[in-house]
Amino acid sequence: MGPGLLGYTIRRLLWAIPVIFAISIIVFYMMRLAPGDPVDTILGQRYDEERAAKLRAKYGYDQPIIEQYFTYMNNLFHGDLGVSTRHQDYSVKEVVLPKMWVSTQIGLFALLITFGLGIPVGIYAALARGTFLDPLIISSWLFLDAIPVFVLIPLCQWFFALKLGIVDLGYDGIYSTHMIMPIMILGLPGVAGVARFMRASVIGVLGEDYIRTARAKGLKERTVVISHISRNALLPMITIIGLSLPGITGGAIFLETLFGIPGIGQESLSAVLAPDFDVVLALVLFGSVLFVLANIVIDLAYAVIDPRIRLGAGRG
Amino acid sequence: MALAPTAEYFPTEDFAAPKRWAFAKRLFRKKLATIAVVYLAIFYAAGILAPVVAPYDPNQQHVTVQDRRQGPSAEHFFGTDSLGRDLFSRVLYAARTTILFTVAVVLTGGIFLGLGLGLLAGYRGGWLDTAIMRTGEVLSGLPTLLLMLAISAAFRQRINDVSFWLQDNTFLGEDSRTFVKFTILVGATVPFAWIGTSRIVRSQVLAIRESSYITAAEMMGANTWRVLTRHVLPGVLPVFMVGLSGGMAGIAGAEVGLSYLGLGIDPPAASFGSLINDAGFVRTFQQYPHLLLASATPVVLFFYAWNLLGDALVDILEPRTTRR
Amino acid sequence: MSNRTLTLMMGFVAFLILAVGVVFVIAVVGGGGDDNSSGQPSSSDSTPKPKSTTGGICGGNTLVTFGGEPATLLDPIQVRDEATSEYVVEVFGGLVTLDLDLKVVPDLAESWKVSDDGKTYTFKLRDNGVFHNGKRVTAQDFKYSLERAADPANNSPTVTLYLGDIVGLKDRYNNKAKDVSGVKVIDDRTLEISINQPADYFISELTYPVGFVVDKETVEKDQRNWTRHPNGTGPFKLTEYKPAEVIRLKRNDRYHLGAAKLDEVDFELGGGSLLTRYENDELHVGAVPAIELEAVKGGKSKLSAEYKPQPRMAVSYLAFNLRQAPFDDLKVRQALAMTIDRDNINNVLLYGTQRVADGILPPEMPGYSEKISSYKYDPVKAKQLLQDSKYGGKLPRIVLTYAGAGGDAPEILQAIQAGWKDTLGIDVVLQASEFSAYLRELRKGTFQMFDAGWAADYPDPEDFIDKLFYSDSPQNEQGYKSDEVDNLLRQARTERDRNKRYQLYQQAEQKILDDAVIIPDFWPIEHLLVKPCVKNWPQVSMTVPKYRYLEIDNSKGK
Repeated sequence: MGPGLLGYTIRRLLWAIPVIFAISIIVFYMMRLAPGDPVDTILGQRYDEERAAKLRAKYGYDQPIIEQYFTYMNNLFHGDLGVSTRHQDYSVKEVVLPKMWVSTQIGLFALLITFGLGIPVGIYAALARGTFLDPLIISSWLFLDAIPVFVLIPLCQWFFALKLGIVDLGYDGIYSTHMIMPIMILGLPGVAGVARFMRASVIGVLGEDYIRTARAKGLKERTVVISHISRNALLPMITIIGLSLPGITGGAIFLETLFGIPGIGQESLSAVLAPDFDVVLALVLFGSVLFVLANIVIDLAYAVIDPRIRLGAGRG
Repeated sequence: MALAPTAEYFPTEDFAAPKRWAFAKRLFRKKLATIAVVYLAIFYAAGILAPVVAPYDPNQQHVTVQDRRQGPSAEHFFGTDSLGRDLFSRVLYAARTTILFTVAVVLTGGIFLGLGLGLLAGYRGGWLDTAIMRTGEVLSGLPTLLLMLAISAAFRQRINDVSFWLQDNTFLGEDSRTFVKFTILVGATVPFAWIGTSRIVRSQVLAIRESSYITAAEMMGANTWRVLTRHVLPGVLPVFMVGLSGGMAGIAGAEVGLSYLGLGIDPPAASFGSLINDAGFVRTFQQYPHLLLASATPVVLFFYAWNLLGDALVDILEPRTTRR
Repeated sequence: MSNRTLTLMMGFVAFLILAVGVVFVIAVVGGGGDDNSSGQPSSSDSTPKPKSTTGGICGGNTLVTFGGEPATLLDPIQVRDEATSEYVVEVFGGLVTLDLDLKVVPDLAESWKVSDDGKTYTFKLRDNGVFHNGKRVTAQDFKYSLERAADPANNSPTVTLYLGDIVGLKDRYNNKAKDVSGVKVIDDRTLEISINQPADYFISELTYPVGFVVDKETVEKDQRNWTRHPNGTGPFKLTEYKPAEVIRLKRNDRYHLGAAKLDEVDFELGGGSLLTRYENDELHVGAVPAIELEAVKGGKSKLSAEYKPQPRMAVSYLAFNLRQAPFDDLKVRQALAMTIDRDNINNVLLYGTQRVADGILPPEMPGYSEKISSYKYDPVKAKQLLQDSKYGGKLPRIVLTYAGAGGDAPEILQAIQAGWKDTLGIDVVLQASEFSAYLRELRKGTFQMFDAGWAADYPDPEDFIDKLFYSDSPQNEQGYKSDEVDNLLRQARTERDRNKRYQLYQQAEQKILDDAVIIPDFWPIEHLLVKPCVKNWPQVSMTVPKYRYLEIDNSKGK
């Protein structure tokens, strides 16, 4: 790594700090703006001022927001993410990590399907350019992409579970046949986007001189496609894969709710509605950190891959 | 500077804007795109004219055993829902909601913020560029749905006061509640949505600035506004249009998804999200499939049409990938 | 870029894809046992869930049902809701409990005597009552538990409500005393509790979890986390709790009222499509969604034979805030009440499966009377009443608030709203409010009109009529203040003749309904499905310990 690159990395990381602080302040304040707080929910219809005051003191909600924020941040730096008021004072880590792991695994498999299918489909469509197959393939996948997941799920559940009776619906762990349908539903609609991107990318490469040279040299078409076209066209794909990664830890709210999967999407929805301050904050912060980091890594990856890209040399 | 990943989609060098008529011709030569345009025209016409076209009042209930959940008939094209309301009329009004929402987001988030800030960032550069792009990064890093939930929870109690005040003191009358909800919804969607467009626009501006004719114009002392509108904007617009039409399904989808979760438009306005939510559970579908099919099909086709159109535009505007 | 970097990258991607694929295949083929996503070993691994491959759902001896996420800690003194009670009553126990007919029966107390003035209860503890860890339950344990409940530091939400009658308890709760003087240990097996004034319902109140016994040692060893491995006295032990996923209970073999027949009860908390999963033989107990009710209840479905309606001791209602215009006028309230066609709503929207509430007390409640009546549907009279009201035809704007996330209001409310508009020409705005905000505003009395419900904590009319309508009660969110009703309720509190007490409550109930303070709409019924191989499923309208009576008949196969 050259000195320029190192400096750039440091600058980007330094930039990330205020960005993440800004996010944390916005979200912290936003949560406390709502008219109800966790204590209202905890006490329910058995509320009385005295008891509520004690609970607020216990969780620190009686302090001014600024002070609460500093307390929270201080704890955060000591590795304490707080407690979940919705889940019996279990620590946020205990509540969030297992669920995040569930969502991440599901997301990874779905991502695998999206890219595993999207890339070959895109290459195929590009090579079939000019025939009716190209638009047919792309537009079919685009149709799947157009169906909202909360429409797709009841349709699939009805067809595969009720009509054909070939799948079970309950959650039974990730590594179970029950998960095949949810993972497919999560992964397949994304194929269209990847295929389109791949197609454009391959077509771009097809025009390059070295492909013409390779063909002129009389190399077998398959060799040309595999060794030259795919390799060069795959490069930009790294960005897309990288950008998709942070998203999967956030879980899929609709999918998890409709299939009863104990993932982070379901949890975050209930946490906001409860409200469960510390859980929501932890989720938001985690998501943002990951997002910012992914952005940096991608930019760096580009710099490493393609030296023509000038880092940090903003124009004007 | 950060390299905008999305810009990779649009290799800039070859991005020549074709002449207007040639452009339309090429678009209509694509059969699927033509069908998409026709469908969108019908959708928009039906939505805008909903009060004229709708055969019934979408909120008129008929709570009797005979009138609820009827199948499609000559009287009720799409049948009726669980409260005996005419589903066809409700779908028309839902289309109206979708149209209003997308127009509002495109105007504010797309043109005003997305295009405007993108141009500014790309053309001015320097600290302004950094500030705009970093702000966008902060906003786009936030989990939108969680924030939507928090925002709507925070403001729900205040919605009444504001909408009642508007109802009494302005010309909005009965529509004031819907107006307030729309404002909140758009206000909560747009801040997170403009950055994508801005990135595309910005990188295109950067590419155009390199070209010699801009430098020439600048050297000849043309003022900034003139350079922007005469030289930069025409080069940026095609990319902007492609980005926008590709993103339309996503914008409309945001409202549908939020309404499905109960965070979008409130009654009396109808939304595809709430229609689907009413009908979209597997058991309901098994017994009354028309409820889901009738409320989901129009909006699925709407998304699909925009996807096809976006796809076609990419092909037309980017000669290298054009299907021969 | 160099060729080497590229090859490396491609290789990495390929490796990733391969690795993930291989893991998935191995895991699926290898029996799919590894879903222990938390990464911690759990004690339940040795008792696998019934798999449909091993002789159907009726093969094992584990009942799989669904449950709600506990709202509070699984600590008896923190419990305030039904979902949490469901688990706590199975894991813990108190002096007395409710049987399946909702009669108060001995639990850890073998017998009890009430003094002649009705103010002193002497409990004789059974000698075979033990905690899950084998330790014997003594009178000292009860004294500790009751004082722990009253300790202001522990902040129990229910202690003053249910145990407030005990002498000295409120002093302890308000930090004016160091202990609860009304609870005395006579000897290891004898406990004496004195109350401030005779109260017939006091013994019922002791069935609520806040009076349950906990083990001092367990609690004090790990103040923060002891509820994860609670040491109770109930028929089941808690073996595992994964938030929003599962709660597993295991049989307590030494249970003093007779050990359960089931080995284990699993409550799945995840939700999903319960009916489909029930039909797939993944659950022993399922729920029928409204859309299926017509077929299931009418005998048209293959599930009809397995349908178990479960009436709840609860009531749902619309309430007026009497402190706000226009509901300070009785005629307006009556007019709105008479415009709701509850029978039609029940028939059309609920498939005739609910019970229209003629009164406040549900039929399961002791002291229920058929003679009580609420306003019937009468649009003509309603119009007249509205005209005669002091507001005439000109009502201020009315907002009806309900707890919910927003979007389309529940169908029932929409239908009621349309009814008011069509008949009376009143535009009522339906306003959703997040649950926490709803509760807060409800207390502050800012709502004009709201949708609410009340479920019994213990089977006594005092729990409904006194708690909801006594002028000083914190649960009187209607702002209702009637000297007549207050007098009746005060009399009833000290009346020792049970029938006379019930009559007093009935008088108060009728007066409240005549005053149209609330419009009761339904006494809810839960629509359950239970597999035929599950024997002895009880019909019980409250949360009581019931799983120890159940059996799975393995001979029935599927």
